[in-house]
Formats: sequence, structure tokens, C-alpha cells
Amino acid sequence: MAVTYKGNVATFADAVGVEESEAFLAWLHKHPKPKLDLAACTHIHAAQLQVLMAARLPIAKWPHDAALTAWLKSALTRDREDK
Amino acid sequence: MTPILQQFLSEARDLLQSISEQLLKLEKTPGDAELMSHLFRSVHTLKGNSGLFDFPEMSRVLHAAEDLMSVVRDGQLGFSQRLADRLLDAMDFVALLLDEIQAGAAGGAAHSQSSVRLADSLRGLIVVAGAAADDSLEPQSTGSRMAAVALPLDVVPEHLRATWRAAALSAEPLHWILYAPASDCFFKGEDPLHQARQTPGIVWQRVSGPGVWPPLAELDPYQCVLRFDLVSTASRAALDEHFRYVPEQVTLVPLTLAQLDPSAGVAAPTSDVSDVAPVDGLSASYLNAILAAQVTALDLPDSVEWLPGRLRAVASTLAACYRSRRREDVLPSLDAALALALSQNRAHPLQEWIEVQGDQFAPTANAAQAVVDPSATATPGSVNSSDAPQARGVEDAAPATTVLKVDQEKIDRLMSLIGEMVVAKNGLPFLAARAETVYGVRELSREIKTQYAVINRIAEEMQDAIMQVRMMPVSSVFQRFPRLVRDISRRLGKEVLLTLEGEETEADKNIIEALAEPLIHIVRNSLDHGIETPDVRRAAGKPVEGRLTIRASQDSGRVLIDISDDGKGIDPAVIKRKAYEKGIIDESMLERISDQEAVNLVFAAGFSTAATVSDLSGRGVGMDVVRNAVERVNGTVTLASETGLGTNLRLSLPLSMAVTNVMVIESNHQIFGVPMDMVLETVRIPRAAIRSIKNRQTIVLRNRVLPLRSLNELLAGDLPQVSNELDEMATLVVQIHGESLGIVVDDFREVVDIILKPMGGILNAVPGYSGSALLGDGSVLMVLNPKELVTWQ
Repeated sequence: MAVTYKGNVATFADAVGVEESEAFLAWLHKHPKPKLDLAACTHIHAAQLQVLMAARLPIAKWPHDAALTAWLKSALTRDREDK
Repeated sequence: MTPILQQFLSEARDLLQSISEQLLKLEKTPGDAELMSHLFRSVHTLKGNSGLFDFPEMSRVLHAAEDLMSVVRDGQLGFSQRLADRLLDAMDFVALLLDEIQAGAAGGAAHSQSSVRLADSLRGLIVVAGAAADDSLEPQSTGSRMAAVALPLDVVPEHLRATWRAAALSAEPLHWILYAPASDCFFKGEDPLHQARQTPGIVWQRVSGPGVWPPLAELDPYQCVLRFDLVSTASRAALDEHFRYVPEQVTLVPLTLAQLDPSAGVAAPTSDVSDVAPVDGLSASYLNAILAAQVTALDLPDSVEWLPGRLRAVASTLAACYRSRRREDVLPSLDAALALALSQNRAHPLQEWIEVQGDQFAPTANAAQAVVDPSATATPGSVNSSDAPQARGVEDAAPATTVLKVDQEKIDRLMSLIGEMVVAKNGLPFLAARAETVYGVRELSREIKTQYAVINRIAEEMQDAIMQVRMMPVSSVFQRFPRLVRDISRRLGKEVLLTLEGEETEADKNIIEALAEPLIHIVRNSLDHGIETPDVRRAAGKPVEGRLTIRASQDSGRVLIDISDDGKGIDPAVIKRKAYEKGIIDESMLERISDQEAVNLVFAAGFSTAATVSDLSGRGVGMDVVRNAVERVNGTVTLASETGLGTNLRLSLPLSMAVTNVMVIESNHQIFGVPMDMVLETVRIPRAAIRSIKNRQTIVLRNRVLPLRSLNELLAGDLPQVSNELDEMATLVVQIHGESLGIVVDDFREVVDIILKPMGGILNAVPGYSGSALLGDGSVLMVLNPKELVTWQ
């Protein structure tokens, strides 16, 4: 599993696949203000991205992977600006 | 090329052929539900098969075709000629793709535009029952699709836009990509974020969701609602390739200067905002202004030091203008004009070039053409007469029997081997004779003969069986005619009803293949010169629809093909006159010749009577070529015609080419073979009976005059023929073009079955010989071609 949960922290590592989005969504319901650590993440599936965009959560640690960060920022920060 | 791909290609071609036939039949009987269902199944199977491989362009078109056929089958849409045309177009495109795959070219992405266009044209016909079919849903170039798109350039930071303006000025590729994945794409295994990230040449990207996201509790993460905007410097081809699987979800907008810099003061006049404007680049008036400025610059006096610099500046400006209008085709001539101007050190060549180009920057649809894939000329209507029939091992007529598709090479190898076996076994009787005469062992001789009889029976049966394998039904040649007749008759504006009979008649594969071209030519002749236009036919009291019948049958070891039409027939008077004009016959023949003989003059070389040579026939590739092709496989062609009523051509071909029955003859201490089917009879004539008429030797045989030729003389030898002890000359009576001729030889020998091998290489051009064969004792028999021998003189 690329997403690990410990307490209030969800850690994304490597490539997060499509099947994890549903579990993440369920976890979010129980932890409405989580800390998201994406430092070790190399890719997330579009479904996962949708969840992140819809939930409008702040990211505690952005990915080391600069390209992925650029993509995520364009998706997530812009959305929050629209708010 | 893997075995499964090979199999796919073979089956796909069969399916395409069957789809084509069914479409043509449905055109005549559009209400036939079973035919419709069958057609749907064929398309469905082909689509399914193509899905096994990586051919998205093919699958897309086939999917659209299947959807269309499904709607037609359910009765929601009527079958029409337009529908048939579009489906045939689509199938021609699929055939083109198959050819490319067969040739090993993998560049299917180049056809992705055509495939989207064709798929759209098919889907455009799918209309909710009741509404009129929308003609405007004609193939749209993706250019016109983006006419309404306004690109949100203001979200892009200014420094990036500046870089892009520079790129656009130097006409480097720059595209804005709108990628809107389908909402169920996750279930198809797609990850649009991954697809977007992997796009080549990204310089800017953005992901957006719907304006308002649903509350988390109601969110379905597996419904894709994302939209991607990307800007890339990759080439159009690379982008097409990358988005090959989802072209309908992607819109590629080339970024133009006008879009990047709306403040440049170009008030694009509304007349420019056709579906063409966003694609064109700079608007016409802007470019015309630039052009005028260049002309003014060139008009300045030439006698300045900086003339070369001025010329180069003008040329590079012109180049940029034309490039922005996608007119890269003019650039080479512009370069040439510049080079000439520089070498002459005057502006004139460039001025001339501008004049020659004319005012190119009128707002026309020219530029839009460049967007449409030029390779979308997989157009219909061109008759593929050069299509050779695919190698078929066994054609199945009865669906119940199991069928093998066999490689032609394997069959040829079998044929070769059995041929050698036949020759080898023929050596045994010689052995038996030698055992008796040379070694005096009569018992052994008899045993050899017994064993030979056994081997002989088995070998002959094996040969017969293998020849049966090579038998193919003529339908493999006939199947192309419905489409051919349909296309040609439409082109000529004539109505023709084609009837095919006896398609299951079988003949050897070589014969069948040799038939294809002559038949096509005969059919074209019929349609072009035979069958009249509907008006002429009506005036003559004939039914408006012309009848063309092609019938195949077997008769005493030969295959007969009859081609008849009820057209205007061949007028002997016209033929006689034309032949006389061309010098083929002289005045005395003109008087004597019968109507039947006159009509057969069309077989003379270089004959053509059509007043206007249509693009189909009458170009001197005449009936003589047809007759030669038929005779090359030991066939004959005869012609019968009645003026005003029609023409009938009959081709008579041997059932198989493999084994030839020849008579061995001796002349000048050498042996030769003469094919028995040319020999009418053998006769020994007393030397005294030979008469000389005008330097020609003749005899009277059964009250008819028979001209004689000496074989030695025909073979350019000088020796006279030898007579036997009764002073009789051995003479072979042969028939050449309906006339009898006696060939005098020294002696007759036995009649044998041989495998005739045609002459190879440069010997092929030597007239007089059909080929050679191996005899049982290992010697080589040269087999004569009496017709060539005699006419060669």
C-alpha cells in the first residue's frame, strides 16, 4: 500500500494507485483535518488527485519530485484560490 | 510478424471482402434482414479481432461502423446509398491500414486524423429516428472543431507568454492541448494524470476540476471530472502519437501570435473568423500589410551597399508570413529567388517572385486544408484492379467441412516433389527393358514391371490428389467483379446488371490467377464499348439496364468462361474499315472476309476503334493482349457478336497446367516434344504426293489442301527431312488459329506425360519452345511451340 496511516498523518510513498482512493476517502471521514506527507511520493493516480482537490486539504510536505509538485500545485493551490 | 498477426491479417481481408459483398447486395435489397444481420456480425468480428492488437486507428473506425450497423439492424435507420458509400470508404481505409501492417510499417498514428474523420462521418449518420440526417455532419477537420474555443491565456504568467510569442514568430511548433478525459476512463484503465505528465515537450500545465466540487461525503472518486490544459513545444506528429488512443478527448490548438498578443492591434475582421481563422495565424489584412511593406522596400533603388541585407530581410519576412499560413511549400522557390537576387545583386528576382505568388493572403479556406491529414486520401472509387487474389489453400464451399488455410509455398513444394516422383518412376520400365535385353534376366524384368505397376498407380493417385489441392473455384476471381462493375458503371453513367454463374467451378490455381487480368479487361471493354447509355438503350427499345453475364462451367477436361453482354455488339463493317485503315488487311481481304472473321480482327495487335479513348480501354492494350495471356496457359478465346444485340466471349482453359501430354518426334538426330492437344493427327505421306505451289509444299489430304512446313527448316536448319523405307514423310498435322498445317519430321516416337517446365531467364525470350522436361532416362526433352515456330517466320 502506497498510503500509510498513522494517527492523524497520511503518508504517500511511490506511486499511489487508483484503488487506494476509496480507502483514503473513508479515512478522511474519520480524520477531517489530517496532515498529508507527500515527500516520498512519485505519482498519484488521477482519482486520488480528485479526492485531494475536492477535499481542499493543505499539504504538509510537498513531494521531493519537482515535476509532480508543479502539477499538484497547479491543481490544488489554484482550487483553493477559487474558494 | 507473429503467427497470430499473420492469421489476423488473413482473416481480416476475408472479412473485408465479405463485408464488401454484403454491402453491395444490401444496396440492391435493403430490406433483407438476414443479410443485414450477417453484415453486422462481420463488422463486429472484425472489430473484435482488431482489438487484440495495437491498432487504435482501425478499431476506432470499426467501432463506429459497428455502432452504425447496429442502429441500421435495429431498424432505426434506413439503409441508403450514402450509408453504403461511407461504409465502403471506411473499409477501404481499413484495407489500407492492413496493407501497411503487412508491409511492416507501424506508423498508424499518421492516420489518426483520418480515422477520427471517418469515424465521425459514420457516427454522423446515426440519427434519432424521425429527425432528418444532418448533412452538415460531414467530416470535420479538428481545425474547425476548435473554432469556438477561447483559450484562457491570461492565467499563464507573462514571462512564459513572452517566450511563446518569440516561438510563434519563428514558427516553431507550439500547441495548447485541451485534454478532457471521459468520465468513465478509470474503468478503462486510463490514468489521465499520468497521460498528461508523459506528454512530450510540456512547458506549462494546469489541472482543473469542476467549478464546484461536491461535498466529500457524496464524492465519487472514480468519476473523472478533471480537465487538463497543457502547452507543449513538441511537434504535431509527436502529440498525435502520444494521444493516439484518446484523440476524441483531446483538442490540439496551435498557438498563434494573434492569440498570444491580442494587443497587437489586429482587429480581426469578422469575415476572417470562419472555421479557419484560429488556425491560420495572422489575419489576412495584417499579412497583406506586411507584404505591401516588402514590395515597397524592394522598390527602393538597388544601388546601395546594403542591398544584400535588405534582400535577406525581405526574404525572411516573406518566409515567416508564408509559414504562418502553413504555406511551407513556397519556401524552396523563395530561397531560389533570394539566391538569384543576391547573385545578380538586384531586387528583381524577389519582386518577380512576389508577383508570381499573387495575393496569397486572401481569407480563403486554403490553410484549413493543411490541417486535414493529407494521407486521408484513402479514397474510394479507385478500382484496385491490381489486387491479386490472396493465396488460398482450400476455399470452403460447404460450411460443414473443416478447412485449412495452407501456405502456398507448401503446396508448391508438394507439387515439385510429386513431379519428380512421376519422372523418376518412369525410369523403371527402361530398367526392366535393360534387364531383359542387356542382362538377359527375364524374370527380374517381369518383377520390376509388376512393382512398377504398383508404384505407378500410387504416384498417379498422389499426383491427382495434389492437383486437387491446387484447385480453386473461380469465385476467387469473380468476387471482385460486383464492386468493379458498380464503380465503373457509375463512372460511365450506365446501368448494368451483373449476373455471375458457376462460381464454384474449379480450376488449377495458376489458371485462375492467369484469368484475372484478361477477365477484367474484357469486362471493362463490355462496359465501355458494349453496353450503351440508358438513353441510347431506351431509344433502341432495350431495357434501360444492361445485362452482363459471366458464366463458368466445365466441359471435357476444360474450363469454359463465357462473358456475354446485351450491348450494341461489334459491327463487322466498322472493324473491317478500321483494319484496312491500319493496314492489318488489304483490299482483297476486305472484300472476301466474312462477318465472323471480321469480328475476330479485334484480336489483331494494335487495334482500337473507339473514337474517343476513354480512360478505361481502347488504349491499344487490346484484345491481342487478352488472347496472348489466355494462350500462354494453353487456353483459347473466341468471339461472337451480333450488331445491336450483344457480344459473347468464350475463354476455354485447361483444367490444370501440371502434366502435359506430348508426342516425342525425331528430326535431324534430335528429339523434340510436341504437345498432344495441338496435334490433330499423325500421317505418313508418300513423297510423290507432295505438290509444290508457289514455293510452298502442300498435299491434298481428304480433299483439303494442307500446307506443309519442314521442321528442320522451321528450326533454321538446312537439312531436308528424312523419309522412311517406303519413302514416306512423317507429318504432324497441327491446328493453328483454326487453320491446319502439316509439320514434316523424320519420325514419330512415343507419347509421354511430362512435367513441362517453362524456359527460364534469357531463354524465355526465344520463340518456338514452350519449355523443357526431364525424361525417364535423364535426358532433356525440348518441347516445341508450333504456333510460335510457324508465326515467327
